[in-house]
Amino acid sequence: MSPAVGYTAIALVAVVSILIGFYGLRVSRTTSDFYVASRTVRPWWNASAIGGEYLSAASFLGVAGLILLTGTGGLWFPIGYTAGYLMLLLFVAAPLRRSGAYTIPDFTGARLDSLTARRVTSTLVIVVGWFYIVPQLQGAALTVRITTGLPSWVGSVAVAVIVAGVVAAGGMRSITFVQAFQFWLKLTALAVPLVALLIIVNGGAVAPELEPAAAFPAGAGPGALDTYRTISLMVALLLGTLGLPHVLVRFYTNPDGTAARRTTLIVLGLLSVFYLFPTAFGLLGRAFAPDLAVSGEADALILVLPDRLVPGPVGQLLTAFVIAGAFAAFLSTSSGLVVSLAGVISQDLLGGSVRGFRAAALISSLVPLAVALITESTGLAGSVGLVFAFTASTLCPVLLLGIWWRGLTARGAICGMLVGALLSGSAIIAVPAVAAAAPAWSAFVEQPAAWTVPIAAAVTILVSRIDRARVPRGVDAFLARLHVPER
Amino acid sequence: MTAPTGDDEVEPPGSAPPGSPAPPGSPAPPRVRVTAPRIPVRGAQRAGEASGSSTTDATGATGGTGAFRRPGATGAFSTPGAQRGADATDEPDASDVRGVYVRSLIRSQLQLGLVCAAAFVLATTLFVLAIVWTPALDESFIAGVPVSWLLLAFGVYPLALTIAALYVWAAARNESRYRSLAEEP
Repeated sequence: MSPAVGYTAIALVAVVSILIGFYGLRVSRTTSDFYVASRTVRPWWNASAIGGEYLSAASFLGVAGLILLTGTGGLWFPIGYTAGYLMLLLFVAAPLRRSGAYTIPDFTGARLDSLTARRVTSTLVIVVGWFYIVPQLQGAALTVRITTGLPSWVGSVAVAVIVAGVVAAGGMRSITFVQAFQFWLKLTALAVPLVALLIIVNGGAVAPELEPAAAFPAGAGPGALDTYRTISLMVALLLGTLGLPHVLVRFYTNPDGTAARRTTLIVLGLLSVFYLFPTAFGLLGRAFAPDLAVSGEADALILVLPDRLVPGPVGQLLTAFVIAGAFAAFLSTSSGLVVSLAGVISQDLLGGSVRGFRAAALISSLVPLAVALITESTGLAGSVGLVFAFTASTLCPVLLLGIWWRGLTARGAICGMLVGALLSGSAIIAVPAVAAAAPAWSAFVEQPAAWTVPIAAAVTILVSRIDRARVPRGVDAFLARLHVPER
Repeated sequence: MTAPTGDDEVEPPGSAPPGSPAPPGSPAPPRVRVTAPRIPVRGAQRAGEASGSSTTDATGATGGTGAFRRPGATGAFSTPGAQRGADATDEPDASDVRGVYVRSLIRSQLQLGLVCAAAFVLATTLFVLAIVWTPALDESFIAGVPVSWLLLAFGVYPLALTIAALYVWAAARNESRYRSLAEEP
């Protein structure tokens, strides 16, 4: 593959993102503009932006890689990523918009009337955000290495610098434009090459490397699903989406609760359409590029496949499309995360000013960059899945109970979050040790959500019940605000 | 999936209020379908039923009316409402009645959400089991891919979208019902 194609595509996306970011700077004036775009974003714009922000390296590259690597086990990731928005719609979207808070810590702080609960939430949000940015930077490293031949760290550093710059300069308003643009870019960047490849493959120009029966063995098919792992993964993905900081902050930019619901419905549609493409790429890869099914390399499938099937200028053009889309994915998800992290850090630590927001944007990009540079990616979809499990065990129970149960107390919330963080965190850390010592148990630490989420929720409820004398005084008024329609 | 359809069937009697608000003090008999004693406040009980009837009925087939008595997951959410009701006095003053409407709205929205979530989980489970239990799907190929793989790859999204669309419609209906009750003079 020619490095020039890689350079051109990456440079183009970077320049366009920066341009749109600075166009937004002229519109961003007040603090409120910076944080939530003054809440004037229309559902279609907002839905595109949510999609643009949500579809990360894991979705763009990781899903196809995982389908290539594991078969139908990988199909559950896009299903879970999408169905997470269904849960968001059912339980969170409208009430959270009506809560009038800017960030998740704002919400818990106001709902529970507790500074400690707010601080614990902030810490968790920051941890979740940092560990979610890391796979994006690793994806960028992989893309730069595969497509240009430059050392991996160049990709991570480039994405971190661009994101920090755009977010610090323009804030959320410009980011909404950037994100919406990037959703459609990502969709086109997968759709055009995929359709071209399908036409070429159907024409019989390239013969598959494997016969259908060998490419799609029953051993990797739906019948061979590991029940516990699948259920636990679905718990993590369905509930983890509720707590993702960059997803939630976007809901505050809806004008009202009804618009928040409509936006979520549109997002669900956009995601369903989007995931057709990486899934199809993964299936194509099983037949046409089985040699890539190696851990660590499989994520490059989407980048490599066009050039393999269509050598020559057409293949290079298609490759350029895909690279542009991949970079859009890294940039948009990272910038969405940096916006929400910067919002949390600046409000809680730096006084909530615009200058604080800018400083916080720098901090939020540099820490994950350091982590990404010293760690090695083992599979993008898998590491993002772990972040979902952690989020589902910590922020999700508090958010759900806070919205729907008036009995939640600050102590209950704090205990639940800490227990959830401890359990899911130690499960993730213990994976290598358990795999060596007791392989039979490794599924339980590799996919911990099925037991950590219920335990965290149970602790939250139990402690709240014991502590029931401390149910916040204004809880009824607060719940009324969450659920009563605006007009 | 099934629940919203059930909701659809009971809609006509319940959907009367928005257009023609029932005269205060005489709740229309057709709406008092839920006979369980739900809140230990007389005035509150009527009001709660009037606005909560829609989704209560939606879940009625699966025991939705029993949400208050059921000690399970839903119980954990709804019991506080019941306790709260006990604090209230028998005087149906304005703010008190509004509080009852709000609690009833929250309860119906929660039930709606839970029913939709359960419907999605159930439908997906059945869908996957059907694929797994039909080995013929592994043997037949479309464009070189087994049908079982294609179904799992692309079949769940329409399910999620359908449930989401039904939910948005039903949640908005709950809210408009609340509005027509709360804005009654």
